[in-house]
Amino acid sequence: MIEVQNVAYTYADGTKAVNDVSMTFPEQGIFAVMGLSGSGKTTLLNCIARFLSPQQGAILLDGQDIQDMKEVDFRQQVGVVFQHLNLFPHLNVLENMMLALERVQGRSKSEAKAEAMDILKRLNIGELAANYPAQVSGGQAQRVAIARGLALKPKFMLLDEPTSALDAATTSDFAQWLRELQEFTSFIIVTHDLPFAEQTADQGVFMAQGQVQEQGRLTEVLQNLDRC
Amino acid sequence: MDVSREIAQRINRESRIVATEWDGILAGLLAEKYDAIIGSMAITPTRQESVDFSTPYYHSGAQLFVHRDNPDKVYSISECNGLRIAVVLGETYQHFLEEKFPDVEVVTLKSAAEIFAMLEQKRITGFVTDRLVGAWQTKEAGRPFVPVGEMLYKERIGIPVRKDNPDLLGQINTALAAMEDDGTMQRIHQRYFGLGKTSSSKLGTMEPSVIATKLLKGFAVSLGIALAALLLGFVLAIPSGLLLTFQRGSLKPLHFLVRGFVDFIRGTPVLIQLLFVWLGLGLSPFPAAILTLGICAMAYMAEVIRAGLMSVDPGQDLGARALGLSPLDRFRFVVWPQAFRIAIPPLMNCVVALLKDTALVSIISIPELIREAQSIISVTFEPGLYYLIAGLMFFAVTFPLMKLSDRVERSIKAKGFAHD
Ligand SMILES: Nc1ncnc2c1ncn2[C@@H]1O[C@H](COP(=O)(O)OP(=O)(O)O)[C@@H](O)[C@H]1O
Ligand SMILES: [Mg+2]
Repeated sequence: MIEVQNVAYTYADGTKAVNDVSMTFPEQGIFAVMGLSGSGKTTLLNCIARFLSPQQGAILLDGQDIQDMKEVDFRQQVGVVFQHLNLFPHLNVLENMMLALERVQGRSKSEAKAEAMDILKRLNIGELAANYPAQVSGGQAQRVAIARGLALKPKFMLLDEPTSALDAATTSDFAQWLRELQEFTSFIIVTHDLPFAEQTADQGVFMAQGQVQEQGRLTEVLQNLDRC
Repeated sequence: MDVSREIAQRINRESRIVATEWDGILAGLLAEKYDAIIGSMAITPTRQESVDFSTPYYHSGAQLFVHRDNPDKVYSISECNGLRIAVVLGETYQHFLEEKFPDVEVVTLKSAAEIFAMLEQKRITGFVTDRLVGAWQTKEAGRPFVPVGEMLYKERIGIPVRKDNPDLLGQINTALAAMEDDGTMQRIHQRYFGLGKTSSSKLGTMEPSVIATKLLKGFAVSLGIALAALLLGFVLAIPSGLLLTFQRGSLKPLHFLVRGFVDFIRGTPVLIQLLFVWLGLGLSPFPAAILTLGICAMAYMAEVIRAGLMSVDPGQDLGARALGLSPLDRFRFVVWPQAFRIAIPPLMNCVVALLKDTALVSIISIPELIREAQSIISVTFEPGLYYLIAGLMFFAVTFPLMKLSDRVERSIKAKGFAHD
């Protein structure tokens, strides 16, 4: 469980991007952090992923303040896929996945290879193993980036705008695919794409101007938004 | 040559002949690259300030030579106002003409071979050189040039040695006196400058196989120097490139040191660096060439590596961090491999530049391609042909490198490495 408690983040230039935000991400399921562009979603994600330290409040992972955790432990429990994916262009898909298995978890090359191949197959993208990132489509790249994060078997997986490079048709395929991954981990999806959130998430928050505007079961959140 | 061999024999010294450019010849003597110069050097007060001269071993003087056809119809230097008269760069005749005959257009050329080629094509009216040397060169080269008019002035030819070497000077003077006495000097003069004696010319032709061997050997030397300098430069460029990029904390002083050094190297002519290392630091030619070109390559390649590192998307490091990789692993497995691939095409261009820069080391008497070409030209008097061949030999290596660099660049772009 991740608990965000009264978190506020202000950038060096004075922009108050996240302003006293609290929310709880459950152990199971898909959680959506929604909001218009500029509402502070990515900033919040960077706080949860420990790339930014909030000036106020705390973020707890299973009751422990994430600031107190060791880097390697934290990274293996909370995975992130950035909006731009940041796949390594000089490595093929399999090698992209093997790197952390070898260097962070200390697996041997052959172990890492078998493990990575196994995950790719279970995610139905085994045929991409030998391709380089430049050779796969936007939707495939998104899946590969998620697969790469899942290789470390994190408890939580943060996705920033996963549909930004997808068109409508591939988006529903992708939503379907993502729902099947719930057995691996729980997802926190940051998105401004409400139809996509509706297709995937069970619960969510809607942010506006750095604050939580609506919160709860996804259908309720969306209904309340419609009323406004 | 004969004079030098004879003197060396008489003073029991090993004579090793060092070929060098005329315009740096005194500097080389002062830097102890060699101990004496036996090459028809005139005794002048200016030169006497820095070196000691032996007793004069022959008297000669400045002489105007023109083409036998004499299209400008000149019969003495005083008729040459506004006409082009050539001299070899660094010889005393240049100053003499500029001072005494300011209306003559003095053309300074690098070698007698160039002067001869120009006069053959009648692009100059004539040239001024030592009377005996000129007569000998003209005859041996089979050129239709003739001396006209009186000698411009007379001068004494001596052998310069360093001022701190009076022993050698004494030995040379003794040898010269003995050679004068027993008629050796007379015989040598006869053989070289004897009038009317037409010896079948050994000059003017050179076996094609000899020419080919010289060119190939020269090019092998050029490539060898380039390769050694490349290795040295590359090994130094990697840490330098890193220091240019990262300037955190304790690296700061080193960063500024490398920054300053690289700027200095990039902002000064390689030729000056070469002469500094050779004469200033006193290294022998090959180490001087490799060190200079290596350091120079290092400076440019360090910049290229820095640019490569800068153009890796910062998101790559972040992505690796999100996977829990340590800072060192992030650099080793994610940032550096991409930076290096981005740097490959410009690094290859550095190799091309380095290859071309090897031509400069001819100036410090390394027998590389240009120098071998010059030595062929000094016999065949065909500068156009042999400089063209030398150029083409370079091009045969640089052209594929340039094409390869283009291809690598395209493939790197296609793989989506550098962000822009
Ligand atoms: N590095 C930054 N420095 C200053 N302001 C920033 C920075 N990143 C984002 N912001 C500002 O913070 C606010 C929230 O941005 P962001 O968290 O990216 O929103 P979202 O992801 O919801 O679009 C915006 O006003 C944005 O301009
Ligand atoms: Mg965002």
